[in-house]
Amino acid sequence: MQKLILTLFIILISQLVLSQGFQVNFQGQKQQGMGGAGTALPIDGASLFFNPGSTSFLKENSVNLAMTPTFARSLFVDANTNQSARTNSPMGTPFSAYAVYRKSAESKLFFGIAAYTPFGSTVQWEDEWMGRFALTRLELKSIFIQPTISVKLTEKVGLGVGFVYCTGNVNLQKDLPVMDASGNYGHAELAGKANGFGVNAGVFVQATDKIGFGLTYRSQVNMSVTNGQATFVVPTSLEANFPNGNFSSSLPLPQVVTFGFSYKPTDKLSLALDVNYVGWKAYDTLAFDYETNTSSLSDTKSVRSYENIFAFRGGANYDFTEKIAARIGMAYGISPVQNGYVTPETPDANRINYTAGLSYKLGKHFTLDASIFFTHLKRTDTNIETNLSGTFTTNVIAPGLAVIYRF
Amino acid sequence: MNFKKTKRLILGLGILSVTFSCKPKETSIEVSAGEVDATRFVSIGGITTSGFMDDALYAEGQENSLGAILSVQFKLIGGGDFNQPLMPTSSVGWSKIGLSRLLLGNKTDCLGVTSLSPLRIASQGDLTGFGSYVYSSSNKFNNFGIPFIKSTEFSTPGIGNSANGPGLFNAFFTRMASNPINGTIKADILAKNPTFFTLFTGMDEVLEYAKNGASTGNLTPVNGAVGIGFDGSITDLLIDLTGNGARGALSNIPDVTDFPYFTTIPFDGLNLDADNAFTLNEIYNPIGIYFQVGKNAFVIEDPTAGAFGVRQMVEGELILLSVPLDSLKCNKMGSVFPFRNEFVLTNPELVDIRNTINGFNTVLASAAANYNLAFVDSYSFFKQLKTGIVYNGISLSAKFVSGGAYSLDGITLNPRGNALLANEFIGVINQKYKATIPKVDATKYRGVIFP
Repeated sequence: MQKLILTLFIILISQLVLSQGFQVNFQGQKQQGMGGAGTALPIDGASLFFNPGSTSFLKENSVNLAMTPTFARSLFVDANTNQSARTNSPMGTPFSAYAVYRKSAESKLFFGIAAYTPFGSTVQWEDEWMGRFALTRLELKSIFIQPTISVKLTEKVGLGVGFVYCTGNVNLQKDLPVMDASGNYGHAELAGKANGFGVNAGVFVQATDKIGFGLTYRSQVNMSVTNGQATFVVPTSLEANFPNGNFSSSLPLPQVVTFGFSYKPTDKLSLALDVNYVGWKAYDTLAFDYETNTSSLSDTKSVRSYENIFAFRGGANYDFTEKIAARIGMAYGISPVQNGYVTPETPDANRINYTAGLSYKLGKHFTLDASIFFTHLKRTDTNIETNLSGTFTTNVIAPGLAVIYRF
Repeated sequence: MNFKKTKRLILGLGILSVTFSCKPKETSIEVSAGEVDATRFVSIGGITTSGFMDDALYAEGQENSLGAILSVQFKLIGGGDFNQPLMPTSSVGWSKIGLSRLLLGNKTDCLGVTSLSPLRIASQGDLTGFGSYVYSSSNKFNNFGIPFIKSTEFSTPGIGNSANGPGLFNAFFTRMASNPINGTIKADILAKNPTFFTLFTGMDEVLEYAKNGASTGNLTPVNGAVGIGFDGSITDLLIDLTGNGARGALSNIPDVTDFPYFTTIPFDGLNLDADNAFTLNEIYNPIGIYFQVGKNAFVIEDPTAGAFGVRQMVEGELILLSVPLDSLKCNKMGSVFPFRNEFVLTNPELVDIRNTINGFNTVLASAAANYNLAFVDSYSFFKQLKTGIVYNGISLSAKFVSGGAYSLDGITLNPRGNALLANEFIGVINQKYKATIPKVDATKYRGVIFP
């Protein structure tokens, strides 16, 4: 067992950072199995993310390690030329790690620490694709680390607050439309580290034995890049026009307000419903401020104009036996990206997610959770900044696995 | 609990996801010819259609000519091969006056400042390549883009005959004519029996007049018989081209004075320090011309300007790229020595030129309607290019070199510019003839090459 945990850890650490789709809702296998809902259903340590207020309603201490290898494939069909291009992005590896602890079964106070990856994306478009001068690769990584306190105020009400430290980095690459004598185009790479702070707070109400409510607030985190490194490969005669050097930028990771509801019609069946309100409006502009400007290299401001959106998540858990539970769920997410603003970085669209999950208890201490996620996105747009016009189609499949140690 | 079981589970999930990680399926749009029969497509016109670029006719330019680009798309709807009077593959090219093509390189000017500048890639043009007769009766040409051909010359017998002497024959036609002695371009086009054509003419004659600063020659009259006037010549061509039922696309012509060749040097680019301003004031104050420190309008010769025939330029007037830049920078050309007429387009000259362009375009618009042809608004396309176009993330404009769409002569488009123009043609052809011919991916065509 230790070997297994170690292996998982090594995989986690080596690939920590690859995650897919700007917002990544893979923070708990059980919740993933139920469409991503869980704000009003404290079932394991992942409640540190879903609702720190509900953590105090957990029945045991636990350590929870999970990873969700994510396979996303996008296709772009250009509306003008009828030609197509695909992504060959690497597998994404959103992970989560939770530890919750209280001194004794009577203690009203839970301490927890969480690490998870709620935002991230690695998109790699095929070489020489028609959108190469808009984007060739975007790697966005963020890890949230969240120490948390959760208090059971009364038999029915729990309150929790986590402080979030976020660290991450960004690497954006595109080709430049300047050609050298051998026919090679220029290339720009903007890379930088970023960090930010935030909170994750929630309240949980177990109204009756059967009904629960939850309300959480995850604050916006501003990831600011202060010492980014811009590297340009251009024809020799243009090197002075494209000086390598520092840049600064920032990216808001939006706030999320979630209302959750849970209902247990029978002992064996639980239903969960979450409604997220995501403050994407904060992502108004993606700006790059270069330390050294030239006639060819000016600061850029790309309007993103994202909109605040709702997402609806629902699922069911059924305990077949003491040891085996199965789950199923669905989610509907509205795209924050308005028409005219769809980019190859995040070829986003309204989406329906389909999920399922399975749990198996191994002996006294261990639980294995597995989940599977599928979604299909399709969006036709003409970007007002680049005039890239066509249809993006994306399929995402993400099977996930968690190992939980209870004590 | 065993590790193996878990490993198997992970492996299982892995296999599952590979199976399901289905690539999105391609749903391509149907390509249809509509009413276009591209079996024998001919492209007719002047420099823009010929593939002339970087101030020379050379193979790479020809391979990226408007017609060549269109023919690649027409193949998708059953179009045939596109034969061109190609220059040899590695030829340095041939300009109107026998020079090689241009390429960007570093040039040190009279002030000792080194900067990027278009340079000839060889000391002279490729006479052997240009002089070789490339016509073949078994493989007739599809590209009748003939550099510097006038709209009035398509039906002129012997237009390829060098014995007619300078100005009365076109050497670019000589090499490709079935009968250079007394044949016509129109006869050669019709011998190909085209099923579809594009016609983009009228620009070259206006351009040649503008390029010499309106100092010599005449503008073709808008109205007049075939061989004399624009409307008569166009009608003559279109009657025969459409005679056998061929369809086609007719383009109007751009305002050539928007080309970088005419817009790169600003009329008020005479920057003076106190000493130079003083000297010039000493010279010019007696005839009522005053200079200040900083920006000033250049001085030009203008026979209509007062007793001395000299004046400062006014806003809107243009200086041509043919002006000797070293003389301008170091030998007081444009100040102590006024620019000669051939380097400048004055406002009255510009009015003439633009009136002619507008006149031609009125004729072309009604001809397109009369002969039921797709009408390509190249005039608007070039105006947009002047304002700036963004294509798949590439910014293009009419700025010399950095604009990215014009070749190094500042007049003709480079391959990427031609691809964008070809897309304009495809757009209206699709519309007119209910076709769905895909446009070209202009990112696959090169812009300016930097050393």
